Amino acid sequence: MRIFSGLVLVIASFSVAAQSHLDVQTVVQKQEVFVNDNGESDTRLVAADVVVPGETVFYTITFTNVSDEVADNVVITNPIAADLVYVEGSGFGPGADLQFSVDGGETFAAAEQLTVTEDGETRAAEASDYTHVRWVLRNNLDAGAQATARFAAVLE
Amino acid sequence: MNLADLEMSPAFVWMRRASILCLCILLGNPANAAGTAVGTVIENTANITYDLAGTPLALQSNTTSIVVAERINVTTTLQSPQTLVAPNDLNRALLFTVTNIGNGDEAFALAIDSAIGGDDFDPNPAVPAIFFDSNSNGVFDAPDQAYVPGSNEPLLAPDASVNVFIVNDIPGTASNGQIGRSQLTATSMTGSGPAGTVFAGQGDGGVDAVIGTTTGSAAATGEYLVSEVLISVVKAQLVNDPNGGNQPIPGATITYTITVEVTSAGVATASTLRDAIPMFTPFVPASITLNGGAISDAVDGDAGELDSSGPATVVVRLGDLTQADGIQTVVFQVTIDE
Repeated sequence: MRIFSGLVLVIASFSVAAQSHLDVQTVVQKQEVFVNDNGESDTRLVAADVVVPGETVFYTITFTNVSDEVADNVVITNPIAADLVYVEGSGFGPGADLQFSVDGGETFAAAEQLTVTEDGETRAAEASDYTHVRWVLRNNLDAGAQATARFAAVLE
Repeated sequence: MNLADLEMSPAFVWMRRASILCLCILLGNPANAAGTAVGTVIENTANITYDLAGTPLALQSNTTSIVVAERINVTTTLQSPQTLVAPNDLNRALLFTVTNIGNGDEAFALAIDSAIGGDDFDPNPAVPAIFFDSNSNGVFDAPDQAYVPGSNEPLLAPDASVNVFIVNDIPGTASNGQIGRSQLTATSMTGSGPAGTVFAGQGDGGVDAVIGTTTGSAAATGEYLVSEVLISVVKAQLVNDPNGGNQPIPGATITYTITVEVTSAGVATASTLRDAIPMFTPFVPASITLNGGAISDAVDGDAGELDSSGPATVVVRLGDLTQADGIQTVVFQVTIDE
């Protein structure tokens, strides 16, 4: 009986460890042109059900501090799939510094600090070189606070 | 009477250029215009790291996934330059390349239109009028298979292309200097329409197919130019007798001078002068010249020879001649048998 209750205790503590303090959701969408109520051509984001080469997709990461404590040093990292090319200037994250990796996520730096060495020649990195995009939050994420990060990429 | 005659082959030189062009396309390193392969699944998971009460923690988001649909895109490009024809010519071919620049396998229907506005005459499509360059030589010839609508639409992998001839007869009413146009259109068998049109579930592997910027259909137009080249051929002779006179007596040498000149617009392609030596006037060995340059009697790769396979004939190949080439002068000598 004592052994059994000990087991119960262990399971309960696992359950606590697995509980998330942050809720992180990502969606992928694409832009659709539509005619708004004023009869004007407008764009909106819709689910990316059908994506063909040349189309742009938008990834939006929404994260919420669902704990009772302040989260600090919050860093969001998102890989850029091989068939996708990051759209220059598309990274968006209020209150966050944007960084990129050109080496598969080994190192990160601001876009202007990145270089690529090809055939012995070193050049400034381009959007097509990026393998990961990262948002480094400048401020703490208070309990109950929510933030958003977004970037766009073109399907090759 | 010893008459020079001039042979002209129809525009084979143009054909050869066309074949070189298509060779480049076949051998060239194809750019990957097609894009990410249809059916590719692209997953995305964001990672987040944070500190909570001094403890570093990490989480992953949900994983999103997109499936790459089929983009239908096609180009048709003309390979033949303006093709020189004569009235009543039959089966004159224009070469095109149809390329699948979409990202999935796609079959294309082919159509010819020779009733295009803005030209001087309408070529008459032959029956059948569309052929594949089956032996990949860039020349319309016997091994080339006819396209049969509904039967052998070319199925092209992404970035793959096929060379196609459209074949027309030239009406007898077409006159010198007139232009007639003929068009090849390749249209996706899945469908065509404005860019963005979706054919649900009709792409490779059952994914959606979406019409790309080329609207799923692409046409190119080729051109025939009626060019009846006018050529002047004049033959003159000078006799030198053994007595220092100009009498055509036994032992005299006759120097023939033949001048050839294109006197109209157009190109006389692969022009060849053939002049048979009359009986009882033997050819003087090593006497042929073209524009003053010696031509040997042997078949040896220079511009001419004495062809002895039948009745002895002087043969001089003049190549492609236009008015700009001016007068071509061929000289040779015979003697009068003693």
